[in-house]
Amino acid sequence: MTFRTVVITSLCLSVGLAWIIESGATDVFLEATRPDFQKIPLAVAGIDNIGGADSPEGRIRLGNRIEEILKADVRRSLVFSLVDLPGLGIKVGNLGTGPNPEFKKAAEQGVSVIVWGKAGMTNDAKDPDVNMDGYVYDAGSNEMVGGKRYAGSTSVVRLMAHRFADELVFRYTGEPGIARTKIAYVSEQGSARELFVMDYDGHDSRQLTADGFLNLMPRWSPDRRFIVFTAYRNRNTQNIDMIELATGKRWTLVSLSGLNITPALSPDGNFLAFASSHEGNSELYSLDTRTKAMQRLTVHAGGDLSPSWAPSGRELVFASDRSGGPQIFLMSMDGTNVRRLTFEGDYNAAPAWSPRGNWIAYVCRSPKKEYKICLITPDGQKRVQLTAGPGVDDSPSWSPDGRHLVFSSTAGGKSQIYMINADGKDLERITFTGTHNSAPAWSPAS
Amino acid sequence: MGGGKDMKRLQWAMCVPLIFGSIMLGLSGCSSKAIQSGGDSQPAQQGAAKGSDEGGVSQNIPDTSFSGQDGLRGLDKNPSEERVGGNTLTAKADPGSASRQMEEIRAEQAASAAAGLRDVFFAYDSFAISEEGRQVLARNAEWIKSNPGVYVKVEGHCDERGTSAYNLVLGEKRAKAARNYLVELGVAPKQLSIVSYGKERPVCTEHAESCYSQNRRGHVVVKTGK
Repeated sequence: MTFRTVVITSLCLSVGLAWIIESGATDVFLEATRPDFQKIPLAVAGIDNIGGADSPEGRIRLGNRIEEILKADVRRSLVFSLVDLPGLGIKVGNLGTGPNPEFKKAAEQGVSVIVWGKAGMTNDAKDPDVNMDGYVYDAGSNEMVGGKRYAGSTSVVRLMAHRFADELVFRYTGEPGIARTKIAYVSEQGSARELFVMDYDGHDSRQLTADGFLNLMPRWSPDRRFIVFTAYRNRNTQNIDMIELATGKRWTLVSLSGLNITPALSPDGNFLAFASSHEGNSELYSLDTRTKAMQRLTVHAGGDLSPSWAPSGRELVFASDRSGGPQIFLMSMDGTNVRRLTFEGDYNAAPAWSPRGNWIAYVCRSPKKEYKICLITPDGQKRVQLTAGPGVDDSPSWSPDGRHLVFSSTAGGKSQIYMINADGKDLERITFTGTHNSAPAWSPAS
Repeated sequence: MGGGKDMKRLQWAMCVPLIFGSIMLGLSGCSSKAIQSGGDSQPAQQGAAKGSDEGGVSQNIPDTSFSGQDGLRGLDKNPSEERVGGNTLTAKADPGSASRQMEEIRAEQAASAAAGLRDVFFAYDSFAISEEGRQVLARNAEWIKSNPGVYVKVEGHCDERGTSAYNLVLGEKRAKAARNYLVELGVAPKQLSIVSYGKERPVCTEHAESCYSQNRRGHVVVKTGK
């Protein structure tokens, strides 16, 4: 805990807020993706413990545990601002199924939404079931407007909290929320690098591959069923493979000679863009996953790589060293209309198009030769350096709501994975174990 | 949340790498399935997971078309119970794979050391062969030419600076530059192959030039496997 706090604190000090390069861009951009967006004040009155049973993991009461996870989800949603009821001088006693009489007082002080609930475990010692009820009070109607009742095994406690958090976001924005999203990444295992998947908050990591050599650069299919990645099945060739998460089943999609790297499935799932050097240097190709027809997209003596799809599926952003060091370029999905997007600095790579379409994140090399995360609008009009300080930052990947990014950084020594708001606030480290965690890829929402 | 949990996760990650369970993609079971509207009901194509040995593009690709969301069900004033769960499974990973890789790497290293093959090093951001590099490659070329039955692989490596992806391209350029120079010196092209590992197989992990310079290399090894 102390170590974690120290690391986070020192990072916050060194990285700080977004460093606005462009003089005209000093307004707070991207506040929940809209400048006029006002966060909705929400209080979690409490998740009561029922049944008196302690959780077998950690000896923490289930209600308290769920409450903590829920509050973290609410804070990270950036849709709500988390209000502390005792801080307003409001003390709720025992919570029932109906709204607490104190809720009205909170509403009068500007709290729009109050959630509460209860959670506990059944007494079956062998196979206990976890139950959770969550309720929502809306100040506008001064009543309980709805709730959820969940049941499941002890292994899905976190998922219950995440699911309830997403229901809250869904009710108040119509968007699915990000609390149930996952992050695929690469983690060092001995001298090998293997694929893992974890929850968006860094918990519950699972190993996907155990090939014993290199698996790199995972990307999700739009329905979250598959991950495409670069696999070195033997040490001498690399392929683009796909793995099905529910079964562990593997397919080799591309096994051309030379490099087969940086795969990316289109938003409709029908095209796989990737880079291959089988015709000489690294070029971009598009594979129609239905007809299996492959189309070459780039023709240039320079190396082209790292395609990322616009949310419309009609355009791609990619990196190319055709003009010297790597720079960011745009083109139509058929390879026409190529134009250069970045001109500042001599090293810009690893672009990622925001799911909202309005920004492209990428790795930029600062004048101090530090590799940091930058954002640029697709029209090139606005450019912002999001991170600063020491360490190599790499592989930016957007949350499906476009409000956050994950990336890897060696700022703390070893490469670890960090989350940051798209406005540069709330830098948070989300991997804490392992010698090298990299290449995070945020899943779509569901 | 403290050290205990992290230790537990560390141990899990180190000791049970082959097992993974509950890949939770939201609600499983009838509730979530019921919410999926129409669209894709075809299961993924079963069968061979491996591409052809000749290389190319697989003709066996499961349906990756987007088929709707695993939706939320919304709040309800009298909520009925939703079962929250996930798929539990064990990875069908080959447990011998890692140790087999290690054995093969050791065999390559031993054969390369016995042959006296040496690595060629590169400047930051560069794939140009230096004068020193030319001398090293000239000695390597003599040995390869006098052993026409051997196959040699040039691995392109990079230091940790820059992106993972672009370093794979840079690593390939380094490997190609070394290979091309060996061919210029008269080595038969069929004896040579290249592979890029980018910055993913460093020999040294310090964040310092003394370490970076060792990682920016064309690693010349005798190929013992396929």
